[in-house]
Amino acid sequence: MLKLFKRKPGGLSCGEVMEVLQSYLDGEIDAETAGKVTSHLDLCVDCDLEAGVYDRIRSSLATRTEPVDAGVLRSLESFSERLMNGEIDTNGVDND
Amino acid sequence: MVLLMDRPTETSAFERHVVPELDVLYRTARSLTRNNADAEDLVQETLLRAYRAIDRFDGRYPRAWLLTIMRNANINRVRKKTPDLLDDPDATFERSAEFADHADPEALVVEPVFDAVVEAAFEALPAMFHDVVELVDVNGLAYAEAAEILGIPVGTVMSRLHRARKRIRDHLTTAEVDVDTPSYRARLTKGS
Ligand SMILES: [Zn+2]
Repeated sequence: MLKLFKRKPGGLSCGEVMEVLQSYLDGEIDAETAGKVTSHLDLCVDCDLEAGVYDRIRSSLATRTEPVDAGVLRSLESFSERLMNGEIDTNGVDND
Repeated sequence: MVLLMDRPTETSAFERHVVPELDVLYRTARSLTRNNADAEDLVQETLLRAYRAIDRFDGRYPRAWLLTIMRNANINRVRKKTPDLLDDPDATFERSAEFADHADPEALVVEPVFDAVVEAAFEALPAMFHDVVELVDVNGLAYAEAAEILGIPVGTVMSRLHRARKRIRDHLTTAEVDVDTPSYRARLTKGS
């Protein structure tokens, strides 16, 4: 949509929000900027919709996580246990 | 069973800092090796090295510390396996990612629903972008943690990740499946 005049909801322009949007969704920006983005999204439908798409991409990718097989985890735990009990020679460079 | 209190400090430090990260370590190793057996070997090698170094570890950011160890262990592993690829560890990481058996052709012809388009776009990403998305979005690493395992600056992780997601986003636009996505604020209220 054509913007006829400059708006800065939350103190940020839409372009500035797009620059930091992904970091914002990842929780990787400072609290002050995050607060400004939140207020911008409250007031700007376009950016809020765009943020919705990116957030949905993130959730969609997150569902691809394959659970770690319980047997593998148990075997790694027991390996750790044996290490801590001094049952494994830690001076060997490699395990093969 | 040995009681915690009887153990020397290195052992309790290992138990406190390392053991809780096993799950993340294995997931990351799986991304690096693309193979369950190699992933398990790589985690064991990482644990071994971590155990040897635990008395020099200051206790801060154990995950980042472990990922650095894993990166080095993996470079060693890849070198031994493929001696011809020895100069550039990042190239070998990307090379091994390219060999992966992803990109299921079936996934490309299913109806263009959101998740299917995201999956196809994700699998079509060049290895350099694919790896970062897999570490951060699929495996849940923070930017700094992904930077640690890839041996690249945080800013590079960020720009690759953002460009990768932008590509996925563009696929959605082309496939016209992003139109019915609720806004972020609406997703938040619906989700919680
Ligand atoms: Zn806006």
